[in-house]
Amino acid sequence: MTRKYWKGLEELRETPEFLNSKEQEFPTQMSVEEFLGDENLKESSTARRDFLKFLGFSVAAATVAACEAPVTKAIPYVIKPENVTPGMPTWYASTYYDGVSYASILVKTREGRPIYIKGNKDFGITNGGSNAQIIASVLGLYDAARLQNPTNKGNDTTWSAIDSSVKGKLKAAKKVVLVSNTIISPSTAMAIGEVATSLGATENPAKFEHIQYDAVSYAGIRLAHEAAYGVNVIPSHDFSKAKTIVSIGADFLSTWLMPTQFATQYGTRRNPTGEWMSKHFQFESVMSVTGSNADYRGMIKPSEQASVLAYLLKGFGVSTGITSDLSKANKAVADEAIKSLKATKTDSLIVSDSNDKYIQLLVAKLNTVLGAYSSTLSLQNPINLFKSEDAKMNKFVADVIAGKGPDAVIFMGTNPVYSLANGKAFGAALKNIDTTISFASHADETASKCSFVAPDHHALESWNDFNAVGSHYAIAQPTIRPLFNTASATESLLVWAGKATRGGKDSKVTYDYIKKTWELYGFPSQTKYADFHTYWNMAIHNSCVDSNMMQPIVATPFSDAALAGIASKIANVNGLEVVLYQKAGIGIGLQANNPWLQELPDPMTKVTWDNYITMNPVEMEKAGYLTTYDQEHGLSLAKVKVGNAEVTLPVYPLPGQALGTVGIAVGYGRGENGENIGKAAFQTKEYGGHDTTATGELKPIGANAFALTGSSNGTISYAASGSITKVDGTYPIAATQIHHTVMGRHSIVRETTLDIFKNNDKEAYNPAHVLQKLDKEGNHVEKPISEFDLWEAHPVEKIGHRWGMTVDLSSCIGCGSCLIACQSENNVPVVGKDEVRRGREMHWLRIDRYFASDEEATPGTRNDADTFDYGKAEVAAENPKVIHMPMMCHHCNHAPCETVCPVAATTHSNEGLNQMAYNRCIGTRYCANNCPYKVRRFNWFNYPSYKKFTEVNPAQDDLGRMVLNPDVTVRTRGVMEKCSFCVQRIQAGKLVAKKDGRPVEDGDFVSACADACPTNAIVVGDWNDIKSMVRSSSEDSRAYQALEEVGVKPNVWYKVKVRNEKNDALAGLQVKHHAKGHSDKKNH
Amino acid sequence: MFRKFRNWYFSALAIVIAAGISTTYAQGDALFKAKCSSCHQPHKNGTGPKLFQVRQKWTDGGAKDGSIYQWVNNWQTAAANDPYAQTVSTWSPTAMQAFPELKKEEIDAILDWVDAQPEPGAAGAAGAADGASGDGAAMDAMGTEEEESSNGWVWILMGVVFATIIMAVSGVRRQLKIASAEDAGEDTDEGKTYLEEFKTWAWKYRKYVGMASLVIVIGVIVSLFLSLYSIGVVEGYQPSQPIAFPHAIHTGTNGIDCKYCHNSVTKSKSAGLPTVNVCMNCHKQVNGRTPEQQAQISKIYDAAGWNPEGAGKYTGKVKPIIWNKVHVLPDHVYFNHSQHVVVGGVDCKQCHGDMTKQVEAVKVQTVAELNKIEGNIPLTKPTLTMGWCIECHGEKEISTGSIADTKKDGYYQEIHRRLLNNDKKLYSKYLKDGKVTVSELGGWECAKCHY
Repeated sequence: MTRKYWKGLEELRETPEFLNSKEQEFPTQMSVEEFLGDENLKESSTARRDFLKFLGFSVAAATVAACEAPVTKAIPYVIKPENVTPGMPTWYASTYYDGVSYASILVKTREGRPIYIKGNKDFGITNGGSNAQIIASVLGLYDAARLQNPTNKGNDTTWSAIDSSVKGKLKAAKKVVLVSNTIISPSTAMAIGEVATSLGATENPAKFEHIQYDAVSYAGIRLAHEAAYGVNVIPSHDFSKAKTIVSIGADFLSTWLMPTQFATQYGTRRNPTGEWMSKHFQFESVMSVTGSNADYRGMIKPSEQASVLAYLLKGFGVSTGITSDLSKANKAVADEAIKSLKATKTDSLIVSDSNDKYIQLLVAKLNTVLGAYSSTLSLQNPINLFKSEDAKMNKFVADVIAGKGPDAVIFMGTNPVYSLANGKAFGAALKNIDTTISFASHADETASKCSFVAPDHHALESWNDFNAVGSHYAIAQPTIRPLFNTASATESLLVWAGKATRGGKDSKVTYDYIKKTWELYGFPSQTKYADFHTYWNMAIHNSCVDSNMMQPIVATPFSDAALAGIASKIANVNGLEVVLYQKAGIGIGLQANNPWLQELPDPMTKVTWDNYITMNPVEMEKAGYLTTYDQEHGLSLAKVKVGNAEVTLPVYPLPGQALGTVGIAVGYGRGENGENIGKAAFQTKEYGGHDTTATGELKPIGANAFALTGSSNGTISYAASGSITKVDGTYPIAATQIHHTVMGRHSIVRETTLDIFKNNDKEAYNPAHVLQKLDKEGNHVEKPISEFDLWEAHPVEKIGHRWGMTVDLSSCIGCGSCLIACQSENNVPVVGKDEVRRGREMHWLRIDRYFASDEEATPGTRNDADTFDYGKAEVAAENPKVIHMPMMCHHCNHAPCETVCPVAATTHSNEGLNQMAYNRCIGTRYCANNCPYKVRRFNWFNYPSYKKFTEVNPAQDDLGRMVLNPDVTVRTRGVMEKCSFCVQRIQAGKLVAKKDGRPVEDGDFVSACADACPTNAIVVGDWNDIKSMVRSSSEDSRAYQALEEVGVKPNVWYKVKVRNEKNDALAGLQVKHHAKGHSDKKNH
Repeated sequence: MFRKFRNWYFSALAIVIAAGISTTYAQGDALFKAKCSSCHQPHKNGTGPKLFQVRQKWTDGGAKDGSIYQWVNNWQTAAANDPYAQTVSTWSPTAMQAFPELKKEEIDAILDWVDAQPEPGAAGAAGAADGASGDGAAMDAMGTEEEESSNGWVWILMGVVFATIIMAVSGVRRQLKIASAEDAGEDTDEGKTYLEEFKTWAWKYRKYVGMASLVIVIGVIVSLFLSLYSIGVVEGYQPSQPIAFPHAIHTGTNGIDCKYCHNSVTKSKSAGLPTVNVCMNCHKQVNGRTPEQQAQISKIYDAAGWNPEGAGKYTGKVKPIIWNKVHVLPDHVYFNHSQHVVVGGVDCKQCHGDMTKQVEAVKVQTVAELNKIEGNIPLTKPTLTMGWCIECHGEKEISTGSIADTKKDGYYQEIHRRLLNNDKKLYSKYLKDGKVTVSELGGWECAKCHY
């Protein structure tokens, strides 16, 4: 029987569209009819002779232009700044904080321009962790839509004018309210205090009010700890100590609380050969990055969070009076969790994403019962982020809407018109307030309604200080002179308080103020440094210091009284539940105009440029929604209604979505009224230009789901009951991966369990590929694939360097940081939604995400090879296991792309690199066709200049171009490109070693992806150096090569994913096959 | 400049020797150069004031006797004792160094020597004429806008003239022919046009015409093809510069090391143009002897915002100097100076030529000029083309690391060890010509320069 392999359901069913598209190797280009049918073309009448004339002229012109090299100018500094060497990067240690994400970072500048951000591995509490949003934030600096001057009623004005008006208005106001995001800057907090004092708030506290308000609030945790422990804090979490982790909805690896810190901590305990490996349980509604990494995953509705917690508490003999009915599957996971929690006791950690005080009380209780507060949690070293005062804000908003607002409102780092559920009403009511001031960098939803905007610097332009956790203090330093006529918000506050005078572009006001704060408070609270100057220099150099705690936190013992009658506080929800979540790229929408982040494929859905309603495909089929989509076919639209608010979005089939729930990402729908927040924040047309409504208004990308937020027990809630109704029509979806499963292809991804890994040898979980060959006696014997070769061994395997990479699938959490770091480092163009939809995204590195089907014990392993059904294997399970696989050029030593290039544009270096010479490439695309990993990208257009990409490609304006890495060529139309292993960094690393007169060592060369990885899943280095990490990593028993049987000898190794779970089906397969003494070759 | 200095110095020396006070004079000269010249000049204010007849100046100014000697030994003591010295101390914010070791006689010797120095404008002029005019000429040569005076149009014009003459002559000849034929009563081929005549003629000699046409066509194709090779060849490119900067004076006459001004050459991909503050390290004092030089140097002052009046001071009004880049590589080429200079040990002159003789503006030296320089690896392809680069990579030897364990060779020793241990055959192939070249270690690979 011949076995047939299908690429997709379309092929299996042989739909007419599929049969049609099968004829074409590459996604369809515009058809001739379509092209000629273009109305614009008819207008232009170019006769044949004219055409020939033009052709002749342009050829002649091009020839002439090519002969004469243009005069290039060279302009040296007049006075060269110290530490700047033209052509060499200068690194600054700094700190990132945007109200949501916090990380200690290193900023790379070239000739004074910041061009790249990475986590600081040497200093700070985030241990080198960062995320896609932080890495991409460098692009925001060069955003032409930023306000370039202070404005008064939307018109540019001067700082002196704005200062005198604002000072007068504030003085005259009876009450001034400052609404900000959580202020973790001691100096800014002091400056706010100065304003309050200057307004006479000391004598009359009613004159000034400061409300901290976060778009995504964590107030529930604080209130729960206040009730239980008497302290309004968020305890610090240490995932590196947690042997058992139970997360109830919290996406702590990507968006919850402090993911930059948590992901790094978590990563250190996902190594199966380490001291111990954590066991991770996840109960959630929307399949999140964290859920996809869990060892056990249960699907629950948000309203079931209390039940799960009650069930777990019951396991420890604590009764809460809450019903603990769970589905059979969830009960099994919960039982397993209880077993594990009982074993690890204090070294456990329970977290929940709920913002409900009472759910968080249950979490605190369970953690207390376990004793986690003495190990994984610490009240003494609390997290100072997210101090949202939801109740205070609610009252303020209600007052403003009712027309009872204060005389003056100052908005700082917050955009409530966008992020409030009743933001629209609030925005409309703002005009009734006499003076409204914003520090926003853009004329965004809120700022555009303010009378004055005093634009703050970009984070990379200003001084700042932060106290994110306990007594850890950090500094952010500017890495570029302010590009525009902006001023630090701290300076503006000080000026308005009469404590400083404007310093202009080279202002030192904020710097002096922060320095003074640190001299008065920071310096005395430490003993390591004797004089302030040394202390200050060290603080700036490292970007942070640990001080002594000024006031120890006095927590009372857990008060069980807080739990009294809790059952009655838990809301009963019926019907469909709508869950709001954040995506790794867009978060709460602060960088909605960042094209890198818009084009970052969502880690779970792989969809770019949109938000959508996630729903389990099982339910979608029942309800009659489309569950497949491709280049030509979109997804069904639906309307989700919560209370009076509604959004209309496409419905995306996301396996693992809890039944009876739908998920919608917040952070989209920015600039709904055409606010100028940046050109990449709006939908574009198929052939360029912004898409507009019939009335000529810009269309925002996605819809604003903040409108669906509600309130429960005094805090903002991000889940509510609602309804969904189908709407006519479909909506095109641009996803980078349409196929969901790996269909049991064992040679691509490999997975095992900790148990199998520990108790069996390599053959069980990582069998070598074998082929039959004849031995001397003429018998058929099985030999490993490495013994078969059509080619002579490439010399790189022994001599010189051989650059290699290993990717540990166990540590990879699929967050997408590597992808953005690669884009930033290698000038990878943004192509926009329409091109992504056509399968022409340019990312050099993609992260393949595979769901397991019901036919598989785990992705890549067939439950039963003999009954394996390809049709069924296409469909992801209802609650599938997930594997993330970063895929980049494998730099094959027998590279198939090299042999088919007719012009030798892609060749092999003697260091094992598959080189791409753009200037030689004539664009046949044979190489892309022949690449087994499909990692080659073709420049279909001249992205840095063609009009189609003006809205999305930052390299199209002078400002955006400043972010380009000058060491990497910007590719033009018609050439192939792909991952170069960051060859510019290899060359730079070798040069450092050569100049030092020593062999290349680990760390001389680190690719951008390895640099950005928060869990250190990617290891790169010189494989020929037997002491190198990459060598030992590649010789690990878990190391394998993707599609090894193809025989291309790649220089990239993957390491088998190990899940700390009990998987009988998998154990049966892997151990049984091994015992039988042959590899599961049927799985190949 | 220094040549000029030398000239008048020698002439002055001759006079003084004749006067027979050579010992003190020589002593004064030596001491001045050793102790004073870094800040003072006889006739010009520098970091310190000019010293010509400074004793007289002090006496005239009402200084106490011997105060000036005290000043030299320790200016602070003098300033405390003498009101005139106090006023002198305010001349510049830069404090003078103390020289307690100088005796009175020695100070006198120095000042005697200084007083004997003629004013450069007057006394030195005769002796300095050669040097100055030479330098001035160089400046002029550079100052003029560099215009590639092409003679092409002359040829075209002459070609047109000749063609017209040929046409006219042949026309006359034809008319004469027709006239003589008419006279002879023969049939004239008047009705035939030139073209028809040419056709007839060509058909008659079709073999030769065919051959000639073939040769011409081939010739045109070959020359077209060859001319394509010259696209992007920038040999001899010599753009004009905003300041007529003579390398010959700086690195030739004065022997300033290339790295003093191009100081990132050992650290970075770009050698770096000197920033104006580097120029000012010397030009604060050296402000030119001829009007041409002074005009050029004043451009540096403009850029640096330096007011040379009196002790000179920075006004803070700076403006960058916009040079025209000479050695321009396309954007898709990565070239790193430090790789070549530090690791490869390549001398600057291998690619840039002998700058100690570069009187005019910098240009891209032709490969022929570069080959003339001693120590350069002779190459054939035009300068700054890829052929030129890889030709050198094919020739240039890499230290094999077999030499004694020096720190600098650590990298190549490791590469050497891997080669020797793992692939002896390849190793001996590499060493066939007695050296391991850059290309043998991958210096010809695309991604070494293109990424």
